Formats: sequence, structure tokens, C-alpha cells
Amino acid sequence: MTLPAEWISAALYALRVAVPLLCIATAHRCFRSLRLGKRREEPVVVLEDTAARTVIPVLYWENSIGRSRSCDIVLRDQTASRAHAVLMRRESGWLVTDTNSKAGTFVNGKKVKRSAPVFPGDVITMGSTALTLKRTADVAGLKPPKPVRGRAASPFRLLQATALVQLLLCAQACFAQGRPDPAPLIPFGALLVLEWSLYFYSMKILGRVSFELETLAFLLSGVGVMLLSGVGVKITYTQLLGVAIGVVLYCFLVWFLGDPERVMRWRVAAGALAMLLFAANLLLARERNGARNWIVLGPFSLQPSELIKIAFILVGASTLDRLQTYQNLTGFIAFSAACVGALFLMKDFGTACIFFVTFLLIAFMRSGSLRTVALACSAAGIGAFLILKFRPYVAQRFAAWRHVWEHVNDSGGYQQVRVLSYSATGGLFGAGLGKGALKGVFAGDSDLVFGMLCEELGLVLALTVVLILAGLAFYARSDVTRSRSTLYSISACAAAGMLLFQTGLNVFGATDVLPMTGVTLPFISLGGSSMVSVWGLLAFLKANDERTYAARRRKR
Amino acid sequence: MKTTGFRSLALYLLAGAFLFGLGVFLWGLALHGGDWAVQPFNRHITGESQTAAEGRVLDRNGAVLAETKNGKRVYGGDATARRAMLHAVGDTRGYISAGVQHSFRSDLVGYNLITGLASPTGKSNGGDIRLTLDSGLCRLARQKLGSRSGAAAVYNYRTGELLCMVSTPDYDPQNPPKDLNTDKTGKYEGVYVNKVLSSSLTPGSIFKLVTSACAIENIPNLDGRTWNCSGSVVINGNRITDLRAYGKLSFKNALAKSSNVAFAQIAVELGREKMGAQADEMGFNRSFSLDGIPSAKSSYSVASAQPDELAWSGVGQYTDLANPYHMLVLMGAAANGGTPVMPYFIQSVTGPFGVETRRGEAKAGPALLKTETARRLAEYMRYNVSHAYGDGLFPGLAVCAKTGTAQVSGRGDNCWMVGFSSRAETPLAFAVVVENSDEGSIASAGRLASALMVQAAKLT
Repeated sequence: MTLPAEWISAALYALRVAVPLLCIATAHRCFRSLRLGKRREEPVVVLEDTAARTVIPVLYWENSIGRSRSCDIVLRDQTASRAHAVLMRRESGWLVTDTNSKAGTFVNGKKVKRSAPVFPGDVITMGSTALTLKRTADVAGLKPPKPVRGRAASPFRLLQATALVQLLLCAQACFAQGRPDPAPLIPFGALLVLEWSLYFYSMKILGRVSFELETLAFLLSGVGVMLLSGVGVKITYTQLLGVAIGVVLYCFLVWFLGDPERVMRWRVAAGALAMLLFAANLLLARERNGARNWIVLGPFSLQPSELIKIAFILVGASTLDRLQTYQNLTGFIAFSAACVGALFLMKDFGTACIFFVTFLLIAFMRSGSLRTVALACSAAGIGAFLILKFRPYVAQRFAAWRHVWEHVNDSGGYQQVRVLSYSATGGLFGAGLGKGALKGVFAGDSDLVFGMLCEELGLVLALTVVLILAGLAFYARSDVTRSRSTLYSISACAAAGMLLFQTGLNVFGATDVLPMTGVTLPFISLGGSSMVSVWGLLAFLKANDERTYAARRRKR
Repeated sequence: MKTTGFRSLALYLLAGAFLFGLGVFLWGLALHGGDWAVQPFNRHITGESQTAAEGRVLDRNGAVLAETKNGKRVYGGDATARRAMLHAVGDTRGYISAGVQHSFRSDLVGYNLITGLASPTGKSNGGDIRLTLDSGLCRLARQKLGSRSGAAAVYNYRTGELLCMVSTPDYDPQNPPKDLNTDKTGKYEGVYVNKVLSSSLTPGSIFKLVTSACAIENIPNLDGRTWNCSGSVVINGNRITDLRAYGKLSFKNALAKSSNVAFAQIAVELGREKMGAQADEMGFNRSFSLDGIPSAKSSYSVASAQPDELAWSGVGQYTDLANPYHMLVLMGAAANGGTPVMPYFIQSVTGPFGVETRRGEAKAGPALLKTETARRLAEYMRYNVSHAYGDGLFPGLAVCAKTGTAQVSGRGDNCWMVGFSSRAETPLAFAVVVENSDEGSIASAGRLASALMVQAAKLT
């Protein structure tokens, strides 16, 4: 018995309506769970002024102490420096670090050379102020902690919902050509193995309590992989390999980031490695589609700039004591300039823009200096002007911007008008997985993948995907002061900003809101290196979450 | 940490910019999604595995003008009817941009914001568009135009329904000639242009209606004045001539005889400013719209004209240009006390589930004449027909009209006739033009207008 074609169509349409709704529900639960899992801003310990007997709550893992009003703990003491010291919580306990103060910092009367451990009952003296570290339990009259409202969603359930989304997508892929085809079950199965392996490793072996970020990443990766299975099951293998390597890199980075001191020690090495990779790229790569950003190694082709993104953020981020001790940005500026310069030589302007915006974010978060940002922007502006003046063909690539309908059949607007046309064709719920026409256009499954998503699976799902990516930025920002170090705050904001900016370049380039630059949509676009890289970037967000390392400590 | 937290607000800038960009895209999609979707390159419409099929185009009586059968677009009626409807309906390849199949393509393929071009059943059938045009009347106009280039339009100036809109040269959309795009003899010149909407031609004497309206408003005791028409007059060293010497003429006879000598002098007497202002008021130098399709502008510009040029402009020469659709609207205004009912030609659009998504209706246009001016102008135009052209052209219709024969350098004349029936039972206005003619305006445009009005009167 065969079902009438209309029935199959109607069932597939129902699935296309169900998928985005389920995605929205799952993503909503994940973000809600992330919010609920956030530490309340309550003091962990307090400092008591030995003379005045006033109690100063210590709210953060890293607290700047000094005369300046911008410090976390403000000393009303003319003999203290503006940025005097940093009080930090580490795995081993509390530490105080003197940040080149004039008067020096003393613990129980002993001068602190660089940093020294502080235990409850110890007295820290800065200038003429003496503060005693105390547990909150030992101090009366503190406000009781607010009760937590609502319960975090069960990570198991969330991942189940994600797997269900993937199953519904897989069903669509199997029926894409009218008669059932079992081939898409392969990528579906691979996804299941990957996500549940990570789940058991993370929750059962490492004993972590949270799995929201991984769930969101698998939700997006799943949409991407199943969308690509409509183009051809074979190309999903690259993508799945990307996810697999990405997950391994993710686990490694989350472990690596666990110790801020280790990260700080390895920063220079990471920077040097990045430069080496760039150099190798410039020497070995051949031009492909107008950009020289690929290295071919046997059967694999690799895009080094994708991996350098991770090193870039590692180099940029820093712990608070170092931020306060060494305030200049020269080294990082030079490193950034070298990265952006190398990308220009590769003619990969989109990625150069991504590095530049990430640089601005990091530079501002480290220094708070609008002057640095303004200078960097002017320098970039002058650079762009010179390039456009002496390399007019670069300007030609952008000539059709906002005029794509005048370039329907030439390279200026060919891709964009097709993205617009096919996006509109899909309506809210798409024309059907595998039934799109945009995949036949050059770069349809990478640079133009947003259009393909709209065309085949509908605008609602496409918007859900990009809003999840935007949501990561909001989440990273909201968790900034709750993290264990500014190292995590800065790197998480930079990683989320980088992902969001890249999403913007991809979506807006394809839809002619911005000039077309040809970058990938995180988690969705076809590209192994890109997939590895976005999973790596996700590790910075994970490290920013205080709960990530809390469970491990509890286990000890 | 506090400071870092504060600085991280910079991320909101990025997020704000991102949401703004998303808004730009969604705004564009909501406004232009239909246009984006129905591009000729879209494989969902034209490909082998098409998911969307265009709906039908029907005339006012339900006769099928275009439909899709087995994935192919086919056009109804005989070859003459198909050619007559070509510019209103449009072609398959989308060359005729003013045609319904191009302008209303998103309605025809059944595009909507919710399902796009897709549909739950897998095959979407587009909406039907019913026009107000009468394919029989259009066919008649096409027959009468024969091998001549020209344009003809008739509409009901009370309801706004456009009954006839025909432009030549044309071709049969069912069997497009092979030499359509390769021909070098010029026989298909302007074949993709709907001349009713998209052309502007030298008006000749029909422009005297504008000069008349200006005289009605600015020359006191107009009917008491006379002009001595001795066959020619010299203005600023330039001789302006009539076909023959008419002798002494009153104003209404000067209009009925269409004396260039009289109207040249009237234009000079009125002056550049008043003439320019009158033309602007009557709709020159601006575009009108037919269901959202813009018309070409008529133009009148005498700001820097010499007296002899002003004189020529007053008789519809110089740089004057008139758009047939605008002339039709102007006739509607003259018939309707100065304010026209705007023509429309989309009677209804029916969506995929038989839901009517659009219905044409009478809408008042901008006032083009003052009420009193319109009344007097109509009187003079009625006199033209009863005493000069002959009521035999339009038996029983009490037509008010004006002819024009515009000289175009290097080719034959543009013969015009514009007018309307003043009978309440037959509220019809028309504008016709026959290009490159040597027959005179009554013999060419007059006969065409006559045939159309007689036939159209039977429809009302």
C-alpha cells in the first residue's frame, strides 16, 4: 500500500511546523536553566575593617581593592593606591595579590611580594586600612540569601528533546525524495552517539551539573547536519567529523581553562602557534575562490584561521590581577594587527572583520579605554580606505551592495538575489528538506546557508537558530561578574561576540543587509574547520559558568 | 570584576546591531517578499519540479485569458484576441512589465507570507485574477488598429472600470515570432511597451483643451471675443498656420475648427505662468497609477519658452507630450465635474482556497479641473462633435470630444481623439491615438473611437 503524495506532503509539513516549535521550547528551557543556575550575587566571605568595625561583603571571585571608585572594594584611605591589590579566590583558597601599590600590601604584618594566601582571621593591611577576612557565617546581621525560584530543567530531558528534534528532521530527510530512503539514518545515528557520549562523559564521569550549552550546540549542529543531509548524505560525514573533533577540542579546552594560572602561562605559546599557523597558511595555501585560506593535507583541507580564533581569544583574555598590574595593551594590539594583516594577505576580509571586532571587544573589556577603540577604528578606516584606493577590485566586490536587484545575473548580486527569492519562497515553514533550489547555487550550503535554511525548513527555524546564537551573547554577558575570573568573563564575551558577529556577517551578507563577505554560519554551514572552531569557542562560555568547575571541587 | 561587568555592556551594542539588521531583513521580506519570490529564475515556479503554478487571468465575463496547463502557460481566445490582451495580461517571459502576469505575479502564484510558495499539500495552485477589461471590446480595438501603431483605452467614468486597453504593435504570446528580438526592420519597435500606460506622445490639438480651460478661467467675456483667422499669424518671427483661412471665429468655433492661429494667440495672451499652472493642475508633469502600475508622465514645460514657442505649445506642439492614460483620466475629470473616478482593471483576486483577497472599487482621484471649468469645457467639447465632427460617429451617445493631429518630425502624424459620452446611461470616456498616420484624425482615430464607443455602450 502506498500513501497518496498529498498525505506525505501534509505529514512532512506538519513535521516542519513541529521542529521549530520544539526547538524554541528546548532553547527556551536551556536559557531559563542557565539563568536559574546562575550564582546569586551574595557575599562568599566578608572583610571587616578592624578599626571601624564595618563589614565589606566580598561579592566576586576576583575583587579589585583600591582607592578608585571603580574598584570592587573601595578603600577610603588616602595612603592606599588607586588600584592597590586584588583579592582572588582560587582552588587552593583565597589569595591577595599586590598590584604595584606604593604603600605595599601586608598579610598579618608580613609584606606580600607578589601574592600571598589569606585564611579566615588573617588581617590584610593596605596603607592605613586593615581588613580581616571572615566567613559569612561568622558575621551577624547579613541579609539572608534570596530563595531560588523555579527549578533548573533536567539536562537529560533537554538532550532528549534535542534528539527528538533530530529525529523529526531525520524523518523529513528520509522522505525528501518521495520514496523512503534510509541513508539519512547514518548522520542521525552519529549525532546520537556523539551527543550521548558527551552527556555521559560530562555528567556521569566528570560529575558536572549543567549541560545546557552542549544541548544548545547539539541542537544547532543537528539542524545543520540534517539540513546538509538533504544536499547529500556524504557531505555530512565531513560535518560529523568536525563535530567529533570539535567535541574533543571542547572537552580539552574546558579542562585546560580550569586553571587560570595554567592558561596565563600558555598564552605566549598559543600566540606563537597562531603566528606559525598563519605563516604556514601564507606559504602553503593556494588561492581558492578568491581567498587563500586553505591548507590541503592529503585528503583533508584545513582552514587555519578558524583555529586561530581560539588562540586569539586565549591571548586576549587575562586575570584581574594581571589586568591591574600591567595596564597597557601593546602586546595584544601588535598580535591583533599581525592576525588581521595576515588575513588581509589571504584576502579573507570577512574573517579579518571578525578578528577586528573581537579585538575591539577584548581591548575595551580589558582597558575600558574608548580612546584605544577609537584609534583602532580610525586605523582600520584608513587601512580600508587605502585598500579600496589601491586595490579597486576589492571595492568591486562590494559594488552591488544594496543594489543586488540590478545585478541579478552577474556575480555582484547573483547569490544574494537568489537567497532573497528562495528565502521568501519558503515562507514560515519551508518548502521541504531537500527540496530547495538554493543548494544548486555556489556556496549555497556554506555562505548562503541561511537562505537554504529559510527555503527548506522555513523562516521560523532560521530565526530560532540565529536567535539562539544571539542568546549566547546575552547569556555570556549576564554571567560576567559571576565567573571565577575576568579571564573567563573576557574570553566568554569575546567568544560570544565573535560568534554573534560572524552570524551577522553570514546572515546579512547573504541577504544584502551588509556587503557579502563569505563567512560561515556557526554550527550550520558546511565546513569541518569551522565546526571544530565553534565548538572550541563554546568552551570559553562553558568555562565562564561557575558551575562547570564547582562540581569537580565538591567531589574531591 | 564590577568594571569588567560594566564594560561587557559593549556586547549589547553588537547584539543591538544584530537585531537591527535582522529587522531590516524581516521588514524587506514583509514588504517585498512577494516580489522576491516570483523572480523568473525561481525554480519553484519555472523548474521541472515546480511546487507553485500560476493561476488564471480572466476577463470581466470570465473568459480565460491565460492559464497554466501541464506546466505550460497557455493563452485563451483567437490570435487577434490574444494579441489584443497581450499588454494587459503580459507575456510568459516577463518582458512586458506593466502586464498583470508581471505586476501581480505574486498573487497569481499564490504567494503569501505564511507558506511562501509552498503549501501543505505539496502543490500550490495560485490565485485567479479577474480583470474589468472586456476581451471582445479589446479585440475590436485591435482589429480596427490593424497594422497601425497606436493605443486605445475606454473606461466607465462612474465606476472606474477599465473596459478596453490595447496597444500596438504586439505579437501573439502563444506563438511568439522567432524574430521578435532579432528583427532590425523596426516592426516590433515598442512591442513590449503598453502605450496606454507607458508612452508619451506629442498631443497636437487635443492640448487645446488645456489652453481652453486656461482661457475659461482667465479671459473675461470669452464667448464675446472673436479671433481673425486669416490662415496664418507671425509670432516672434515664426509663422503659425492653419489648414485654411477661417475668417472671424468665436471661441467655440475656434475650438471646433481647431484653429492654430486663434489658439496660438490665446496662449501668448495667457502667458507662460498661467499656461504652465493650468497644465500642472490638469495633471501634466505627474504620474498616475492604474492599480499600482505607474503611468508615464505627460509633459508641458514653458518656463523658458520664447513667445513663438509658447504659441506652439498652446496648440500641442513645441515640447508637449501626452500620455494616453492621463488623457483618459482627464476626460473622466471633465465628465465628472472636475474630479475623476480613477480607473482600475483588477476586478478581483481570488486566493488558493477561493478566498477573495482583493476587489477593485471606485476611488476618487485628484481634482484636475474646477467644477465650473469642467462644465464649460464639456459644453465646448459637445459643440465640437455636434457641429464639426458629426454626431453620426457616436449615434445617441451625446459625445463630447476633441481631435488632434500632431506633427512629428520625420514621420507621419499622431492622430488623437479623446472624449466622453455625456449621457448618464453611458458613462464612458475614451482616449485613442493612431501613430504615423496620413489619414487625418477623424478618419483614423475618430473611426476607432466611434467603433469602440458604439460597442462599449452596448455593454453598459
